[in-house]
Amino acid sequence: MRRVPSGSHTVTVSASELHMPARRSELGAARKYAGEVAKAFGLDADACYEFVYAVNEAVTNAIRHGASDEDGMVHLSVVADADRLTFAVSDRGTFTMPVLDSAETVEHGRGLALMASLVDEVQLYIEPGGTTVRLSKTRAPEPVRARTG
Amino acid sequence: MRSFYIADDVQIDDDDCPDVAVVALGGEVDYEVSPQLRTRVVRAIKEGRRRLILDLTDVTFIDSTAIGVIAGAVERLDEAGGGSLAVVCTHEKVLQILEITGLDSVITLYRSRDEAVSALALAG
Repeated sequence: MRRVPSGSHTVTVSASELHMPARRSELGAARKYAGEVAKAFGLDADACYEFVYAVNEAVTNAIRHGASDEDGMVHLSVVADADRLTFAVSDRGTFTMPVLDSAETVEHGRGLALMASLVDEVQLYIEPGGTTVRLSKTRAPEPVRARTG
Repeated sequence: MRSFYIADDVQIDDDDCPDVAVVALGGEVDYEVSPQLRTRVVRAIKEGRRRLILDLTDVTFIDSTAIGVIAGAVERLDEAGGGSLAVVCTHEKVLQILEITGLDSVITLYRSRDEAVSALALAG
């Protein structure tokens, strides 16, 4: 935990990281981690499912691209502030253009659109040294309690 | 313990449907599973099956790579001269993903395997 200034307020920020091998068999662990983070943050069941889904897509992409990563790892990190949960997925691989037949072409290209549909913000950074996807979801505000007395 | 299963040896009690194949899946269908799904779908089409039923009744999660395999199956059936793909699904979240990706517009959705088999038998 660390405290950072945000405007005129000070908000509590929690952060954690996880590094995992770029292997398909790790996807279940990535979803479990994302689910625990989302639940602890206070997302409701629907929002948790959506968040986990988006994370799974980002990690899947990282595993695909990250095959050329020197250490073969995918890096996950989480930052949570007062009302926003952000999950970053990074790999150090490179994009390649696969040679696809028509059926294979039809198979591709839905991941990013799904991510965008299921979380509030998707940021994609493609750099020579790798790729990072940042997924953010905002927690629904707590209902305002009526003042009494 | 695996979090999914996949089976393409599903028998249907209808001799009138020789070109029907059923592939049943369960659990979390992700990038670890989707290549296995593709293998089974491609094999069924190569064997001459033109009416495929994907039974997703027990599926709780389906990622974009598996959605892609299903869309690819529709394309492969077209390339093979035509066919149909029926998907059995009742899981609310899985249905939501089918809807977001627009897959629900290129497949026929059923609430049970029996319903899908009956519809294919009538169509056949």
